[in-house]
Amino acid sequence: MIKLENVTKKYSKEVVALRDASVDIQKGEFLFLVGPSGSGKSTFIRLLNKSESPDIGRIWVAGKDIAHLSKWKVPFLRRNIGCVFQDFKLLPSKTVYENVAFALEVINRPRHVVESQVPAILDLVGLAEKSGRFPHELSGGEQQRVSIARAFVNRPLILLADEPTGNLDPTTSEGIMRLLDRINRTGTTVVMATHDQGIVDAMRRRVIELAHGSIVRDQDRGVYS
Amino acid sequence: MSTKFGYSVRETAQNVRRNLSLTLASVLTVAVSLSLVGGAVLLRYGVNNVTDRWQNGVEFEVFLNSDASPEQSQRIGNELQTSKDVKRVVYISQEEQYKQFKLYFADQPEYLENVTPDKLPPSYRVVPREADPDIIKTIGARFTREPGVREVVFAEEAVRDLLKVSRVIQAVILGLALVLLMSASLLIFNTIRMAIFARRREIEVMKLVGATNWFIRVPFMLEGLFQGLAGTLSAFAVLYVAQEPAQRFIRDARLFEQFAIFDSQVLTTGLFMVVIGSLLGAVGAGVAASRFLDI
Repeated sequence: MIKLENVTKKYSKEVVALRDASVDIQKGEFLFLVGPSGSGKSTFIRLLNKSESPDIGRIWVAGKDIAHLSKWKVPFLRRNIGCVFQDFKLLPSKTVYENVAFALEVINRPRHVVESQVPAILDLVGLAEKSGRFPHELSGGEQQRVSIARAFVNRPLILLADEPTGNLDPTTSEGIMRLLDRINRTGTTVVMATHDQGIVDAMRRRVIELAHGSIVRDQDRGVYS
Repeated sequence: MSTKFGYSVRETAQNVRRNLSLTLASVLTVAVSLSLVGGAVLLRYGVNNVTDRWQNGVEFEVFLNSDASPEQSQRIGNELQTSKDVKRVVYISQEEQYKQFKLYFADQPEYLENVTPDKLPPSYRVVPREADPDIIKTIGARFTREPGVREVVFAEEAVRDLLKVSRVIQAVILGLALVLLMSASLLIFNTIRMAIFARRREIEVMKLVGATNWFIRVPFMLEGLFQGLAGTLSAFAVLYVAQEPAQRFIRDARLFEQFAIFDSQVLTTGLFMVVIGSLLGAVGAGVAASRFLDI
């Protein structure tokens, strides 16, 4: 599903964010990217949805070589990839329902699809009763659920999550992880960058550890350190 | 498709409302600059209409009798063409004279009713080799008494001066208009930049979930198009109202007694302005969008 081959990404001559990384991720896998801040986790994620391009090496996502993907094809790549962030990136002037529907409307999905998919996904993330609320009326955990609903409403093959629990307390984080696990069980490949040791140790999934841009560990059913 | 169209229109309307003062500035600048462009074009039409026959170095025109025989006409044509003082000769047939006549008197049908092509004099327009008015007079005078010739009309000094003056006026107006058009496009560019800045969160999410670049760009381009068109239409409205009194003023001031701009020329000018105005708006906005959306 995802394959990196000798990928190097530099932001300048001195700053090497990712060094000679080679990774193979199967369809339906759940993968943790761990490591301290600045170790290259975010760059790893950003390379996968073509927010960045590698300087050296090749990357395949969903069967496509994306290192040399032309600009106009990038949006179509992203329709196969859901993204979740630490800061949720919700639109404050739109309700929960509108935030999720927005993701379908801007890729031209017909109205009947929007009207059937959005309530279904809000039900899945447990926010069916709050669809008319605005983001500021929700707790952090609820906001993150909305953002996950938005990322998953289009049923992408891959879900990328960059520190999705970074702003949440442990109990709330646990709920978010249960939701991500549930999404993973539908066959969606999940790649999650985190430095939340408790979560990684509890889930016992594949762990890739990064340090100074290099992969220092790749372990199945791994723990944080 | 319907979601997309509705979305674009809604976004455009919202952006215009949000940046009302900046939008107004762009619209006004477009309006002023395009009225100048349109004014210059109309002036050019008007001057051309009067001086049509004196363009491109034509210094005198030999009018034949409307009933001149083909032999007479042929002979004068040959004589002009073979003369070593003449550079170029253009024959204007009765049908062509009638076409121009119709244009001039389009608003006076009572004239048109009484005139048919065979009543109008055909003519030769002559471009001489020499520019000296005295020499030109002597060349032309040779033909006044030829059989079949009705009269020889010379370009007047005044016409030549007016042509020169109008060329200068047109250059000044067009130069001014060009500067204003540039500031108009910069203003549109800036309005769009503000609009993009106001919506940067939405745009970020749109890019994230895979909206195409055109989908993101189109509402902004529509906004630019709207500004360009609104400016153009107000400019044209002003010109349309002002052109008739202006024509009358020029005629009454004895600058050009026959000064006239035809309705079809006014409409052509309007069309020309609409094309420029919409291009200016849409392209300016498109450039701003591509630049600040990084798409």
